[in-house]
Amino acid sequence: MNPYWGTEFFGFFSVLFQRICKAIFGGVSSLAADELQIAVLATVAISCGLVGPFLVLKRVAMFANSVSHTILLGISLAYLAAASLWGGGMFDMGTLLLGAFIAAGITAFLTEILMRLFRLQEDASVGLVFNALFALGITVVTLFTRDAHLSVEAVMGNADILQVRDLKLSFFLLSLNLGAIVLFFKQFQLASFDRSLAQTLGISCGAFHFLLLFLAAATCVGAFRVVGVLLVLAFLVGPYLIARFFCCRLPWLIFWSCAIGVLISLFGVALSRHFLSAYGWPLSTGGIVVVLLGLAYAGAALVSRRLAAGQRVSLKTTG
Amino acid sequence: MISFWDFFTDPVLRAPTWGCILMCFASSLMGVLIFLRKRSLLAETLSHATYPGAVIGVFLFAFLFPAHEEWTFLAVLGGAFISSLLGLKAIEWMEEKGKARSDAALCFVLAVFFGIGIVAASAMQASFPVWQKQVQMLLFGQAATMTDIHILIYGCLAFAAAFFLFLTFRPLQSTLFDRDFALSAGIPVSILDRIVFWLLLISLIVGIRSVGVVLMSGMVIAPAVAARQFSNRLQTIFGLSALFGVLSGFLGNYLSVMGSLALSQSGEKISLSLPTGPMIVLVGTSFAILSLLFAPKRGLAFRIGRILAFRFRCLQENLLKGIWKKGALSFPQIKESYPVFLPVLSWILFRMRQEGWMQKKKGLYELTRDGKQKAASIIRLHRLWELYLTESLGFQVEKVHRTAEEMEHILTPEIEERLTRLLSNPKQDPHQQPIPERYESLLGN
Repeated sequence: MNPYWGTEFFGFFSVLFQRICKAIFGGVSSLAADELQIAVLATVAISCGLVGPFLVLKRVAMFANSVSHTILLGISLAYLAAASLWGGGMFDMGTLLLGAFIAAGITAFLTEILMRLFRLQEDASVGLVFNALFALGITVVTLFTRDAHLSVEAVMGNADILQVRDLKLSFFLLSLNLGAIVLFFKQFQLASFDRSLAQTLGISCGAFHFLLLFLAAATCVGAFRVVGVLLVLAFLVGPYLIARFFCCRLPWLIFWSCAIGVLISLFGVALSRHFLSAYGWPLSTGGIVVVLLGLAYAGAALVSRRLAAGQRVSLKTTG
Repeated sequence: MISFWDFFTDPVLRAPTWGCILMCFASSLMGVLIFLRKRSLLAETLSHATYPGAVIGVFLFAFLFPAHEEWTFLAVLGGAFISSLLGLKAIEWMEEKGKARSDAALCFVLAVFFGIGIVAASAMQASFPVWQKQVQMLLFGQAATMTDIHILIYGCLAFAAAFFLFLTFRPLQSTLFDRDFALSAGIPVSILDRIVFWLLLISLIVGIRSVGVVLMSGMVIAPAVAARQFSNRLQTIFGLSALFGVLSGFLGNYLSVMGSLALSQSGEKISLSLPTGPMIVLVGTSFAILSLLFAPKRGLAFRIGRILAFRFRCLQENLLKGIWKKGALSFPQIKESYPVFLPVLSWILFRMRQEGWMQKKKGLYELTRDGKQKAASIIRLHRLWELYLTESLGFQVEKVHRTAEEMEHILTPEIEERLTRLLSNPKQDPHQQPIPERYESLLGN
């Protein structure tokens, strides 16, 4: 029985608080569905908050968008291959993830080829590659798996039917990202701010660019099944943009990106529960979190501009 | 059996066909505009930003006029236009004042607007489950269910966009290529900018019905990429882009219908079908890839061919020089001093005999009179350049050989003429070697 059943927005937090207190004294045996949701979303948010700032700084945020499209081709082909090799409809998560990951690699490779070899401008190369692969993916899905639902689910994800193994997957993702960023923080920082200094110090910018794309691809692939690629996109970029209004030191930016992501996922799950209890609307939790991020950005922009305007006024009066 | 013309006249088939053609026509024209500004990905974000408006439009329509389902597409058009316009404003604001770079702004606006759409769609599923399919089909597009009235409206919008482009062509051209000039010439640049984006939005909302929100940007980008390969003139690019767009619209729909027909006759129980939107995008992308590969001048195949031809000529000229210096060389000697892939080397030797530059005598390759003159002219270029580097540019004598080795293949007769005059027809190079006399008649190129 879910203890959050029928709770409204504030009730949700009081139940959560009680459950946490109980858990400290060992009174809670298993996670309720909403808690699992919060845990998974928060883990994904932190994973994205670690990688996202570097993606934005290096101006490759649209790569995440590309990958989020081409994953579909990867999973559908992997599904086909698995089905034909091991017989009817065996649904192995590992195979699908591997397929998606290969598709992400191919996306990056083809985009580079178009830019370097064919000398096509960057925006068009990116757009051409992911649209073509995505179109191929949709065709394969509608032709062979006879399950158009798969594609819709893959694009939007479904944060409302999570399982404990999803939590494990997102913990794995978090440790991967955390490990890479903690180990190579200095290198990433140098490569994103001052390439020539990085090269003089003997840091291979190409290798770290590749590692960054690898982490971004891994994050998208790992999270598409859990929360949907759309949410990953928003988590990669949104919290950083919000944090950017209030601070400019990279370590703090990363910290606040993660913190904002976690807070928003907490509120998102509570709000989703509120809508279900109060109005009987089963809204998409992932969608709500994304919308909240948008609202938070708008709010932050408003506040920071108000602050800046206030500073200008005080400068005028004193000066 | 369906004949070719049935696609344009048959009451059931004609609406999807014309719908796809019109939609691709409009989007390929607008694609050129944003492609030349290097903002192609704007189409991706704005097409996703149409989704929430379309969903909310259907929502309101279902609430207000539940009896007129066939007119829902007007609500979709209106809602989609408004929300993509809001998306555009959001991107502009974020780039100017929101401390976001272009790619981050595009990514974030896309995610947030699409997120709003998904929340709205899930609310819709709960409150008006019957209308859900109206929203669902916008995601991946559904050309097959279009009717004549859709075509009329979409056609008017597409042609209005094209006509506007035609009217504002001159000022648009100046704005695209030289903004400062356009500003100083008194062209209202900011109004034109606004118009371009509005036209883009119109082409996007026309397109989402047949290709779908998620693939729409492919149809904006691909024809422009293909057309750009063939020309530098804006008129030609627009024309070709429209041609590629219309062709891929028609072919995509054709393949989808014929393919689905073939699949349904193959005896499967569940009816399979090839989706129209992805087929259109795939055809459009194939056009783009083919143009990238084989377009004259800019295509990859052409560029590689040019490089190979140059390498071939360099090798030929080096061989001529080598034999000229030694008098005669045997095949093993040539093989040793020119380590090239063996069939290529044999082919070059064969070609040179064909040109009448050399002949084979007792296993030795010797130059003919023509060959000697050709070789002498190359040597002349080499030594002239060496002399020029030391005399006029002050290079050290030991360092000039390597550059001259490259320049001898590039120097034109005109440059040779000027070098001769500049160095007052010299007789010796800096290594005290004689510079061969000039043979006017043999400097063919």
